[in-house]
Amino acid sequence: MSETTAPAASGPAQQAEELFTELVGDRAGEWDRAGKIPREVLRELGARGLLCAQAPGIHGGLGYTSRRNGALTAHVGSLCSSLRSVMTSQGMAAWTLRRLGDAGQQAALVPRLTGGELAAVAFSETEAGSDLSALTTRLTRSGDEVVVDGAKVWTTNAAYADLIVVFGRTEDGVGAVVVPASAPGVRIEPITDAHGCRAAGHAHIRLDGVRVPADALLRGVDRSSALLVTTALSYGRMSVAWGCVGILRGCLTAVVRHAVGRKQFGARLADHQLVARHLAELLIAEQNAARACEHASDLWDSGSPDLVTAVVLAKHVAATGAAAGSARAMQVLASAGAHDGHVVARAHRDAKLMEIIEGSSEICELILAQHAVATA
Amino acid sequence: MTTPSGRTDAAHTAGPLPSDEDVAAELLDFLAQRTRTRWEPDQDLFAVGGMSSLFAMQLVVHLEQTYQIAISGADLMLDNFRTVEAMVRLVNKLRSPAPGSTGE
Repeated sequence: MSETTAPAASGPAQQAEELFTELVGDRAGEWDRAGKIPREVLRELGARGLLCAQAPGIHGGLGYTSRRNGALTAHVGSLCSSLRSVMTSQGMAAWTLRRLGDAGQQAALVPRLTGGELAAVAFSETEAGSDLSALTTRLTRSGDEVVVDGAKVWTTNAAYADLIVVFGRTEDGVGAVVVPASAPGVRIEPITDAHGCRAAGHAHIRLDGVRVPADALLRGVDRSSALLVTTALSYGRMSVAWGCVGILRGCLTAVVRHAVGRKQFGARLADHQLVARHLAELLIAEQNAARACEHASDLWDSGSPDLVTAVVLAKHVAATGAAAGSARAMQVLASAGAHDGHVVARAHRDAKLMEIIEGSSEICELILAQHAVATA
Repeated sequence: MTTPSGRTDAAHTAGPLPSDEDVAAELLDFLAQRTRTRWEPDQDLFAVGGMSSLFAMQLVVHLEQTYQIAISGADLMLDNFRTVEAMVRLVNKLRSPAPGSTGE
């Protein structure tokens, strides 16, 4: 964790996409069926900084812009949404450390994430999903330690994680603490029957009297959860949005190949008008999502306050587009795509989850409606 | 929302620093333009019927970009953005060479 001044974005930037293509190969379906990505694949990508590529050079990261990282995220999303979800979690963990940590905590922790350790961010609880102000996990100061007690649900990447950023309630409000997954009192319960992103390492987490050094509590502690959670989730939303662009691209490729290659009633599927409409709608969804993501990432990179709503809008456009688009893709592929592990079958299940996580479609709509009212 | 290269320490270098009054005036303009409402420097932006946490994050990004500061750790709390006066204090604190070297 010696703080180096490695130049940002040199080296593997150009080859990043190729490396993911090579490492995933034709194994995404197999990972989906097994519900697991080989740990060495995650370690290799993690150690190259590619799972949280926006982390800055001073923390050993690649220093990608949001736009550059978005292009990579979409690429990975087109290959394997489970792996893309791991990226989203790792990136959101790095981002949360950078925003909620002070300079010392950032310098100590972010390089671990750019160096190959895997991380998850635990928000949701049984009674605190969309309403994170209802968190009940307790982060209690005890001498020079913090004691963590609570239960988290549906934490992505938790089954692989070395470190878990746990949001909870302190004596002063809401904050987040960094807990090693190996600490006594941490129990990770992998979810083996997830509807989508089956290999993304979703798990429930029990935390019973887990003791960590006081410095593991990030300095950002607020009376309400609102600003901290909004800040952390913004990264996740941007990443999910780009991932959904990838889902749509994966579907588009598969659907076009099938619709051009298969004949029925003496004509290519693509030449049947009702099928052609599915192709057009898929293309429209992909382009809509890509433009919304590019816009939001550009605002992110230029430091515009407009990024805040643009990210929510991009997430909503991309997730709803991917859910609808993947359903069309299933319809065109029909029996050819109707088995676990197929790119379109995965897309259909994975995209539906993207309408649920990081702010459900309904929560996104509420936020956008509030924005419309506030700026009318 | 932060620069890709994570410039946190190298930030506050260029240009003359605007006074607290300039910062307050700029923020009141920003608020008026964003919310189509005039605000008082000591008025609570997040009181009942006021702005959302999403708007607080817009203020974070605006302050970082406009004043070339990085707002993180203990500074990332809603109370620092609750009034124009609070934001002026925050900007002033983060632009000054931090007494404890890193501000913590």
